[in-house]
Amino acid sequence: MIIYIIRRLLQIIPIMLGVVLLLFFLFNWVGGDPAYILAGKFSNEEQIANIRHQLGIDRPAYVQIGIFLEQIVTGDFGNSWSTGERVSEIILSRLGPSLTILLPLLFIETLLAITLALAVARIRGSLTDRMIMIFCTIGMSISILVYIIVFQYLFAYRLGWFPVQGWGNSLRENLFTYAMLPILISLMVGLAPNLRLFRSFMLDEISQDYVRTARAKGLSEKRILWIHVLRNASIPIITYIMAALPGLLVGAFLIERFFSIPGIGREVILAVERSDFPVIKAITVYVAIATIFANLLADLIYKAVDPRVELK
Amino acid sequence: MLRLTHYLLNRAVSRFCVLCIGSVLSMFMPTSAVHADNGEPKVLRVAFPTAETGFDPARVHDMYSSTINESIFERLLTYDYLARPARLTPMVAESLPKISDDGKTYTFRIKRGIYFSDDSAFSTPRELVAEDFAYSFKRMLDPRLRSPWAFMIEGKIAGLDALVEKAKRNGKFDYDTPIDGLYVVDRYTLRITLNAPDYNFNYIVAHTPFSAVAREVVEHYGEDIMAHPVGTGPYRLKQWIRGARIVLEKRTDYRGMVWDFQSNDKNDDPLIREMEGKRLPLIDRVEIFIIEEAQSSWLAFERNELDYVGIGVFRDKVFEHDGSLKAVWQKQNVRLVQAIDPEITYTFFNFRDPMIGGFSKEKLALRRAIIMAYDRQEEIRVIRKDQAIQANMPIPAGVVGHDPRYRPLNRYDPALANKLLDAFGYRKDKNGWRTLPDGSPLTLKLATGTTAIDRQFNELWKKAMDKIAVHIEFNPGKFADHIKATKACQLQMWGTAWIADYPDGDNFMQLLYGPNTGQSNNGCYESSAFDALYEKANRLPDSPERNHLFLEMTRQMEVDGAWVLGVSRKSNVLVRPWVLGYKRHPILNAPWLYLDIDLTLKQ
Amino acid sequence: MSAAVSHYSKGFWQLTWRRLAMDRVGVVSLIIVLMFFMIILFSAFGLIASDWNHEVAINDAPPDLWGILTDKHTSVIQPSSNNTLSEISEPLPELSVVDPLAEDIAKLRTPIDFSSHIIDPLADTLRDIGYSQYVSTDPTTIEKRTSLPFGGDRWGRDVLKKTIKGTQTSLFVGLTAALLATFLGTLFGAFAGYYGSYIDDTLNWIYSVFNAIPYLLLVLAIAAVLQKRGIATVVLILGLTGWTGVFRLIRAEYMKHRAREYVMAARAFGVSSLRIMFIHILPNVSHIVLVEISILTVAFIKSEVILSFLGFGVAVDDVSWGSMLNDAQSELILGHWWELVAAGGAMALLVTAFSLFTDAIRDALDPKAQGAGA
Repeated sequence: MIIYIIRRLLQIIPIMLGVVLLLFFLFNWVGGDPAYILAGKFSNEEQIANIRHQLGIDRPAYVQIGIFLEQIVTGDFGNSWSTGERVSEIILSRLGPSLTILLPLLFIETLLAITLALAVARIRGSLTDRMIMIFCTIGMSISILVYIIVFQYLFAYRLGWFPVQGWGNSLRENLFTYAMLPILISLMVGLAPNLRLFRSFMLDEISQDYVRTARAKGLSEKRILWIHVLRNASIPIITYIMAALPGLLVGAFLIERFFSIPGIGREVILAVERSDFPVIKAITVYVAIATIFANLLADLIYKAVDPRVELK
Repeated sequence: MLRLTHYLLNRAVSRFCVLCIGSVLSMFMPTSAVHADNGEPKVLRVAFPTAETGFDPARVHDMYSSTINESIFERLLTYDYLARPARLTPMVAESLPKISDDGKTYTFRIKRGIYFSDDSAFSTPRELVAEDFAYSFKRMLDPRLRSPWAFMIEGKIAGLDALVEKAKRNGKFDYDTPIDGLYVVDRYTLRITLNAPDYNFNYIVAHTPFSAVAREVVEHYGEDIMAHPVGTGPYRLKQWIRGARIVLEKRTDYRGMVWDFQSNDKNDDPLIREMEGKRLPLIDRVEIFIIEEAQSSWLAFERNELDYVGIGVFRDKVFEHDGSLKAVWQKQNVRLVQAIDPEITYTFFNFRDPMIGGFSKEKLALRRAIIMAYDRQEEIRVIRKDQAIQANMPIPAGVVGHDPRYRPLNRYDPALANKLLDAFGYRKDKNGWRTLPDGSPLTLKLATGTTAIDRQFNELWKKAMDKIAVHIEFNPGKFADHIKATKACQLQMWGTAWIADYPDGDNFMQLLYGPNTGQSNNGCYESSAFDALYEKANRLPDSPERNHLFLEMTRQMEVDGAWVLGVSRKSNVLVRPWVLGYKRHPILNAPWLYLDIDLTLKQ
Repeated sequence: MSAAVSHYSKGFWQLTWRRLAMDRVGVVSLIIVLMFFMIILFSAFGLIASDWNHEVAINDAPPDLWGILTDKHTSVIQPSSNNTLSEISEPLPELSVVDPLAEDIAKLRTPIDFSSHIIDPLADTLRDIGYSQYVSTDPTTIEKRTSLPFGGDRWGRDVLKKTIKGTQTSLFVGLTAALLATFLGTLFGAFAGYYGSYIDDTLNWIYSVFNAIPYLLLVLAIAAVLQKRGIATVVLILGLTGWTGVFRLIRAEYMKHRAREYVMAARAFGVSSLRIMFIHILPNVSHIVLVEISILTVAFIKSEVILSFLGFGVAVDDVSWGSMLNDAQSELILGHWWELVAAGGAMALLVTAFSLFTDAIRDALDPKAQGAGA
């Protein structure tokens, strides 16, 4: 077990190296030159050279990659090129709003999806089951952009149930005022695929032998579903959520832009737009590490819950 | 990558987009230290369409950050709030400067008793002195600071450039050695000596980047200065959630001023009645939100979450078909404030490009045919939703040198454009596209951004070029990449914009001045005829003679087919009735110093 | 040979088809999908909607289904007025509105007599071809419709035709990108799973790297590398970022199959590895590939919308659902709902049908997991 963890941890090194190389190649080599943005509307070559020198992008590639690696090890990505702010501060200030949306969303979505999945798994194959699945499919077929535009127009503007956009100071205000509609929209988008997926996990379990044994023992269907099936189906569910989490952090950029939420996704787009490489580097590295650890953790949970799983 | 063309230059001029002020969300407001008499603070909420970058006046290059700086920092001179065309008035200077007879020496006397706002960088209250301006001006040229505004004083102030050379050699800028050009006569007197007469220098010292900063503050915060603006202005930075919210708070120790502006425009009478004699500033707190999506900010205004909004593309929500204000707004007593921004958009041709550049007659004809085929009226009607007027001169309305009677030479006329191309041998090949006179293929490459708006422009360009059977391709990319190629004269065509730094025609005509190639002359347009006219005008103060030269320059660039001149955008702002004193200023962007809020009207 | 060693006989596909034919939802969705394919075939060969780019109506023409019957909603439009004078000398609305142009307009009544010293090298030519500085040479008028059955877009183009053309583009993009991603995923997955050892390590490493970088950043970065815009770029972006899921599945399958008897036997006969991988094993995992293609098609059709939002959609002379939705983005507030509804509706219909069809196929392929589609 410990050897396995160490092995997995060691695997992070080549993966991170790959991430660094790919990122450096994609953004530093073929991406935009930030010096021209920073120079303003009246620039000359000398000024550009001066800026490039100060940003350190006139150095040879291997030196820059070396600095990049050093930054990963120390966790200090320096200052943003466009605002001069510390990158760590930028990320910390962005993480709060992102999590304010993400955590409640994940909680509600998972809870709802599991409950509904259990409910429909119980009546699997019935007309209701099929209808729900078809509605889920229709729900999944509508573009998230359409959901955002229409919901913002309808619920915030027309009906006035929520503010159209904005972000406040206190967690309370954000959570109960500004985050509600974004969470609702994300729920609309995310619930249907999760429900379908979780239902399939449940059905996988239901067809297992132990369920038949339990039934034979005369346990109630409710008990079988809620205790046995759920316990076993929770493994793939947890794994799935863990693996999806880092991606969700960045993936909410559409919502963040339309509702003016200062989250990570919006920051990524802004940073790419401004060729703000320190910010891009930091976010990528952190998300990459989070992804790798989430996968590792998911595997360990798998192992812990179900000893039959073989770790290799 | 989004909104790239809006970025910087284009972004800097896109103030027509969204500029809104809002009401109080008093429910959620932390109670403020500064209150109006009846206890409720006067809060103004403003939205910016793009994120700010920071608050070091010398360093920021985008308009929105600069707007914040405008109300935190102060300059020697500023503009009168109501006078049109814009007129300079003293700000921290006692009066307009004394200028020597040779036009080279400017002497400024600074008012006594102006203090910086409190900050941990100061041990005692810190008074503003002449030395602060000497320091701030030097700072503009510090290579380590890389100020995007350095060009405005580069080579102009006696002795300053020698200091820059020294700094480049030994890597450290010497702030301590006094120089002739920025001579501190006494604690409150600054004498600036120029290398050559410059009739626009007063405009330069009124520009926000030339605000006074305190050396202690700059040295105290180091790299972090962008987040710690400390100035002598009426507001201070209370809260900054990067890219989301900026809160400005009125300084209780600000010296204040009395609202006392005259106007020769009768329409300003109600505004003067509202505001006259009031002690400024009156707005206790300004809240600025960054709202990137136009739909979001418009809806926020309609939901009364904001108090005023630039109507942007939502023209149809504001006007009836006959051009009158819709009843729903009249019923709410919402006012519409209109102005034309001192800016132009233009698409330049690269004169060094082998396909379309050069001064030969057939290239002239090609470029002018392209100009004649591009339908600006449709751009205005469809893309800009009538929120712009056609620009006929490189100098926009409201700027010295603009003449509304000027008629453009290259008017929209695709039929004529086709005849012109036929006359110069641009024959069509078997696919129906025109070729160059020598039979080689002709393909235009227009650089573009990646937003939905950019797409609309490309659609319009495609239509225009289809009319004259000229094949056009689009080269979408990041703003930084385009600007890089532009500066190296490698981009064939690109649409961009310029907003007035100061209200003088020179600020626009320099975009076409040959020696500015690689700096601000994006089309690398080097016409000896134009340059001669420009240099002649540069030696003259504002006069009818100089204005006539501006007309000649305009005609020259039209004859050469240098630009597809675009539009000047209108700023149409809807204002809630309780916002008093609002008027769009052509140069100043932060109106809140001059505004009041009627809390009873707001309920 | 392949049939002889293949796991499933021809009867497998026949059986699958028979099971599919019994699934009513599956059949209906298949018909809908086929109809969409018909539309894109017609449109690809220029039989319908080839003139989607024509501005047949006034700007933002409203929808009017009955307009089909009473085809008389036309208006005559002058070519857009190009005289600056008339444009800004129109009186601005009164009310509390401030007219900053009043003074300018007064001046405009008398054009200046501007005698310039500038020499125009083209003056002679222009005079010959009938140039006048004040009168346009093109006095023709154009007839335009005031409404269209499904409405018009901001340039007056028919939204129905745009939707049809958009269907062609989006479905083509989705399918091709899915084929590309599946091809890459299958190729890499086959090599990794079949060979194992260092080939597996290397490919697995590439997979992990791609997986670790946030999807959005990967898309933005690859888009930056592929400078040109167009359908091919969209396909490449989606294909190059979307192969990882297929890789994981196929790799696992190949690992399983390489120890199977029929593979061992083939190897004993001296069949080349490439032949074993793609002639012997591939048919036995083809049902997985098939399902993956159809899942990815749906996913990519949806992703194209996001790519358009980010500015990496199709080129200007093309139209896709993504470009339509992004065009319509700010139009809803103005009351122009038809483009949003047309593109969003067409997309919802196709994607729903496609997904249900995918479920049906999967169920038919794997009867044990009846109704377990995810």
